Amino acid sequence: MKAFTKKGLLLAVACMMLISLLGACGKADNDGNNAGANNGGANDAGETAETGNGYKDKYDPPVTITTVWGVDPELKFKNGETIENNVATKWAMDTLGIEIKSLWSVTDSNNAFATKMRLALTSGEEIPDVVTIGDAQLAQDLIDSGLFREVGSLFDQYANDTWKAAMAIDENVWNPYTRDGKRMGIPVLDYAYNHDYLLWIRQDWLDKLNLQAPKTLAELETVMEKFKNENPDGLSPDQVTPLSIGFKNKMSTWMGDPSWVFGAYGTLPEQWNAGADGKLEYGSINPGMKQGLETLKSWHDKGYIPQEAALWDENKTAEPAVAGTAGIIPGPYWMSGWPLSDTAKNVPGAVWKPYAIPAGPDGKAMRHGTHFTNGVTLISAKMEHPEALFTYQNYMFDNYADPKPGSVFDNGLFKNYDYDIAEDGTLLRWEDIPGGYVNSVRYLLVRDGARIPDAQMKALLNLADGKEATTRLEKEVQTAYGLETPGAAKVLLSQEDISFKNMFTGPPTETMSSKLDYLNKIELQTFNEIIYGQKPVDAFDDFVSTWKSGGGDKITEEVNTWYDSVK
Amino acid sequence: MRGFKRSWQFHLMILPSLLFLIVFAYLPMAGIVMAFQDFKLLGGGIFGSPWIGLENFRTMFEREDSLQVIWNTFFIAALKIIFNLLAPFTFAILLNEVRKAFLSRTIQTLVYLPHFLSWVILGGILLNILSTDGGLVNRALGAIGIDPIFFLGEGNWFRFTVIASEVWKEFGYGTIVFLAALANINPSLYEAAEVDGASRWKQTLHITIPSLIPMAVVVGTLSLGNILNAGFDQIFNLYNPLVYEKGDIIDTFVYRTAIMEGKFGFATAVGLFKSIVSMALIVISYRIAYKVANYRVF
Repeated sequence: MKAFTKKGLLLAVACMMLISLLGACGKADNDGNNAGANNGGANDAGETAETGNGYKDKYDPPVTITTVWGVDPELKFKNGETIENNVATKWAMDTLGIEIKSLWSVTDSNNAFATKMRLALTSGEEIPDVVTIGDAQLAQDLIDSGLFREVGSLFDQYANDTWKAAMAIDENVWNPYTRDGKRMGIPVLDYAYNHDYLLWIRQDWLDKLNLQAPKTLAELETVMEKFKNENPDGLSPDQVTPLSIGFKNKMSTWMGDPSWVFGAYGTLPEQWNAGADGKLEYGSINPGMKQGLETLKSWHDKGYIPQEAALWDENKTAEPAVAGTAGIIPGPYWMSGWPLSDTAKNVPGAVWKPYAIPAGPDGKAMRHGTHFTNGVTLISAKMEHPEALFTYQNYMFDNYADPKPGSVFDNGLFKNYDYDIAEDGTLLRWEDIPGGYVNSVRYLLVRDGARIPDAQMKALLNLADGKEATTRLEKEVQTAYGLETPGAAKVLLSQEDISFKNMFTGPPTETMSSKLDYLNKIELQTFNEIIYGQKPVDAFDDFVSTWKSGGGDKITEEVNTWYDSVK
Repeated sequence: MRGFKRSWQFHLMILPSLLFLIVFAYLPMAGIVMAFQDFKLLGGGIFGSPWIGLENFRTMFEREDSLQVIWNTFFIAALKIIFNLLAPFTFAILLNEVRKAFLSRTIQTLVYLPHFLSWVILGGILLNILSTDGGLVNRALGAIGIDPIFFLGEGNWFRFTVIASEVWKEFGYGTIVFLAALANINPSLYEAAEVDGASRWKQTLHITIPSLIPMAVVVGTLSLGNILNAGFDQIFNLYNPLVYEKGDIIDTFVYRTAIMEGKFGFATAVGLFKSIVSMALIVISYRIAYKVANYRVF
C-alpha cells in the first residue's frame, strides 16, 4: 500500500509537470483567438450601423481599432491603469466612440517590440488594425510583407486640413514608405530640426579674450588658438579641448558632429546629396572631402580637436564641455538644457551661447538636416473601418498638435496625468501633481499624439522675440527646455538654407545589403587614418576609386533609380 | 527489464527535462538550414524562404576584407588562448610558494575579482586610463621618459592591449583550476625529493610542473574550441575606425552586417562556419590529448 502511494505520487508529479509545460505553450494561442473573435463581432456591429463612406466625428455604436504596444520601460501608470485600459482609451471611447483594443503589449527594452512583432506575424497571429513602427528596418519588412494596405488614398480622403498641411511641409516624408507610387504607410511626423546643429561657444571665454564669434573657418582657428594658448580660465594648453568633436561611430552625427567642416567645402559626408546634374551623389566621395580632411588633420596636429577623437563617441564629446575644459561643441539646439546646463555647476560663471555654423574659404556652409518623421503608422489590409483612425488623428491634430489658447487640451492632455491645476487656477509644476506626473501622451494610439514639424520651432521663435508663453506648446518649451534654447532656435532657423537632408530615404538597395558595410568601413578607416597622419591626404583618391569599383557605382545607380521613381 | 518495471516512474520524471532539451536545444538546430536560405522572417520563415545554396558563405568569403577579418580573429584568439594558459600556470606555481595562507588567499581573491567585471564597464575604464591625453598609464610612462603610446588607436598596440587586458581579467579564474590541481599532488613526492636533497627549484621543475601538465592539456584542449571567438564584447567596446585593419573580428563584422540589418541567414552561415572549424579543432586536439596526456572524457 505504502509503495503504491509513493508511485502514485511520483506519477502525479510527473503529470503535473507535463501539464504545466503544455499549458504554458497553449496559453498565447487562446488569447489570440478570443481577441480575434471579439474584434470581429465589434466590427460587424459597426458595419450594420454605417452607411456611405462611414467617416464620423463620433461613432455610435462604437467601432473597434485593434493595435499592439511596445511600452517604453520608463513609462509610468497611475490609478491601477495599464496600456490596455487607461485614461486615453476611456477618452477615445467617450469622445470619439472608438474602442482601442490591444492584441498584445511588451515592455520595449532591447528591441523587444520589433522581435515580438516579427514573431507574432510569422506565427500567424492576428494582425493589428493599426500599428506604429519606429524601427526603420522592421517598417520596411512589414510593408513588404503585404499584410498592410495602401494608405495614401485614405489619407487624401479623410485627413483634415491641419494634418494635411503638416504633412505638406515636406512631401518627401512619404518616400521611405512608397512602393511603385503607392503610399503604404502614414509617416509619423516629428518636430523639425531636432538633429540639425549649430556651434555652442563659451561666451565668457570669448568676452574675456575680447573676441567676436567666428563667422569663417579662419576666424574659428584664431578663436581655437586663443582658447588653447591664452586660456581665460588659466588652463594650460594641454588641458583645453578648444573644439570637442568625435568620430568613433560616424562623421555625421549629432553631439560633437564634425560634418560641417566638410560642409564648408561644399559636401556633407555619409549622406546622399543632390548633385549639380540633378542626380544623387554620395557626399563622402565628393572632392570637397579632401580639403575637409586636410583641415581636420591640421586641427588635430595643432591640438584644436581631441587627440583621441577617433575613440570618442557622441556622449564622450560632451564630457570636456560639461567639465568646463572645452571651448566649442557642435550640437543640436536643445543642448542648452542637457548636457550644457551642468557646466555652470562645475565652473561657476561658464556661459554657453549658440552661434551659426561658420563658412569656408568660398563662403560655403552646410549642415545635415533632420527628417520630419520618426516612424510610420501602418493599416492592416483587413481593417474594416480605417476611417476611424482618421477620426482619432484628425481630432489630435486639431486639438492637441498646436492648439490655440482655450482649446480642450490647452494645458496638456489629461488632467491629473500630464498636468494639473491648483485651487487658485495656476498650473502645477510636474513634481507637484497629486500622485505624480505621467507622460500620458504615450497612451495615445499614435506615438506622441500629433506633432506639426515646425510648431515647436515657431513656439521657440515667439519666445525668443520676447512673447509671453500663451499656447500649450509655448508653455511646454518654456518650462521644459534650457534657458538658451529659444535663442538657439533662432540661430538655427537663420541658417535654414544651409540645412541639407539625406536625399535617399528608400529601403536599402540590393547592392547596399551586400557591400555597404565594407564600404562604410574603409571610408571611416581612411578618413581617420588621414586625420591622424597615418596615411597621406592622397589616400582619399585611392579610397574613392576603391569605393566606386567595390560596389559604390552600382549603389549610386540603384539610388538614382529609386530617386527617379519618387521625384 | 525487471528493474525498469520497478522504476519506470522515475524514468518518467526525466521526461519534462528531456522534452525541454529536445524543444530548446535540439529542435532549434534545425535552424541551421537558414544558413542556406535567403531567410526572411516576414513572408517566408524557415519553410517559405528561398534556398540559395552556399550563397551566404560566398558573400562572406567574397568580401574584400574577409581574409583579414578571419586572420585578426584567429591571431587575437590564439594569443589569448596561449597566454590564458601560461599566465595562470605560472601564477599558480608562484602562489603555491606563498607560505602564509592568509596572504595567498587574499591574492587569489583579488586576482579573481576582475573576472566579474563586464567589458562595458572595463571598456570605459580602459579608455580613460590608456588615454594619450593625461591617462594614468601614459603619465606613468612619461615619468620614466617614454613618449605617450596610443594604445587603442594604433593597430599593433591595440592587439597588445586587447590580449593583455583579457589575460589580466581572466587569469585569476584559470589560477583556481591549477591551484586545485596543485593541492592534489601527493605530498610524499615532495618528502621523497627532500630526502634526496632536491632544492625548492628542483622540486618545482621535476614534481610540480610535470604534475600540472595533464591539467594544462585539458584546459588547453577545451579552450581550443574558442579559436574563432576573439571576444565580441571586449573588442566591440574598445575598437574604433583607426584599428579596423588589425582589430575587426568575425563577430563584430557579423554584428554590423547581419544582426543590425536583420540578415539572419548570413549570421547563421557565419555561425555555422565558426562551429565547424571549432569542432574540427576540438576533435583533433582531443585525439592529441588522448595520445599525449592520456586524457579522455568519453
